[in-house]
Amino acid sequence: MLHDLQVWLVTNIIAHSPVANLMRTAWAWPIFESIHFLGLCMLIGCIGTFDLRLLGVAKRVPIAAMHRLIPWGILGFVINASSGMMFLLTEPDQYIYNPSFHFKFLFIAIAGLNAGTFYLSSYRQVFGANPSLDAPLRAKLIAAISLSAWVLVIICGRMLTFYRPAPCIGQQASILLQCAPAPEKRVSQ
Amino acid sequence: MNIDPFLIWLESTALSQWIVGSESMFAFPGILALPAIGMGFAVGICLALDLRILGVAPGVRIAEMRRFVPIVWTAFWINAISGLLLLIGYPTKALTNPVFYLKLLLIGVGLWLFSRIGRRVFNDTAGDDRAQSPIVQRLAIVSLVCWVSAITAGRFLAYTYHRLTALG
Repeated sequence: MLHDLQVWLVTNIIAHSPVANLMRTAWAWPIFESIHFLGLCMLIGCIGTFDLRLLGVAKRVPIAAMHRLIPWGILGFVINASSGMMFLLTEPDQYIYNPSFHFKFLFIAIAGLNAGTFYLSSYRQVFGANPSLDAPLRAKLIAAISLSAWVLVIICGRMLTFYRPAPCIGQQASILLQCAPAPEKRVSQ
Repeated sequence: MNIDPFLIWLESTALSQWIVGSESMFAFPGILALPAIGMGFAVGICLALDLRILGVAPGVRIAEMRRFVPIVWTAFWINAISGLLLLIGYPTKALTNPVFYLKLLLIGVGLWLFSRIGRRVFNDTAGDDRAQSPIVQRLAIVSLVCWVSAITAGRFLAYTYHRLTALG
């Protein structure tokens, strides 16, 4: 079922992509890659430093004050989700069938759920009245998971090139399709 | 100056051939992942400091941000070493491309600005007054522009080289 969804996505994106023509113009791809790397730096520079603060770096800075950097980290994420979408909407098969992309997505999801857990579990302790300068152990654990997840997202992103899907041969047993099926023949002109 | 003999020698060393030719994910792919992580921390923290100087997160005492300086330099050295290994792998690709020298220059200027800004604001134990000075504010803006340019130059390297190897 997931295989069908992947094929459906790739087929439809190729047929209707609103950005493919733009992205195939000279220098568009490297320009968006540069934007993607800038977003990465903003994300790590703002969310990563907040995680490091929770783990005990710059302990004299109130955690709530450090948290004011987070919106800039989120902006970095939004920049990357948008620029990443430009790549995906141009060469969908290079991502949808790529195991490295599947893992990248998984680690982004883990980072997101982990951040949600932080606000649900530790908000009062960290941001309430008389907050401690030392983050609670649970918040430290969440910060460590966040840093690891984002580093893994970067690694998976860099590995995309090396796991480009080859054409499928025979039946695929994996949960997600990790090879490019032959495009179906067009019925009509 | 013809550097081809040097490039050919470098490309025929065992280290260069292992980096480029090995099937191991710890060879070229692994080395390639490191600079991206290092960049995230080194450039990211520099950007965060610039943003702080320009008024973001006013509750954070700028002098306290010096605690992140060792992380910037650790990340820088990870990148310098992994970058050198990539250079040993593909010396012709980088050294025959002017954009490569531009990237190095921009990184050098970025780090120089980082330490110059640091010298002005990290010792300011009385408060954040010195960071409010127009000179530091301007340095922070130049630093932002410099890092954006360095990242762009780095990305364009993959698209602007005209020779991949000298060995052929």
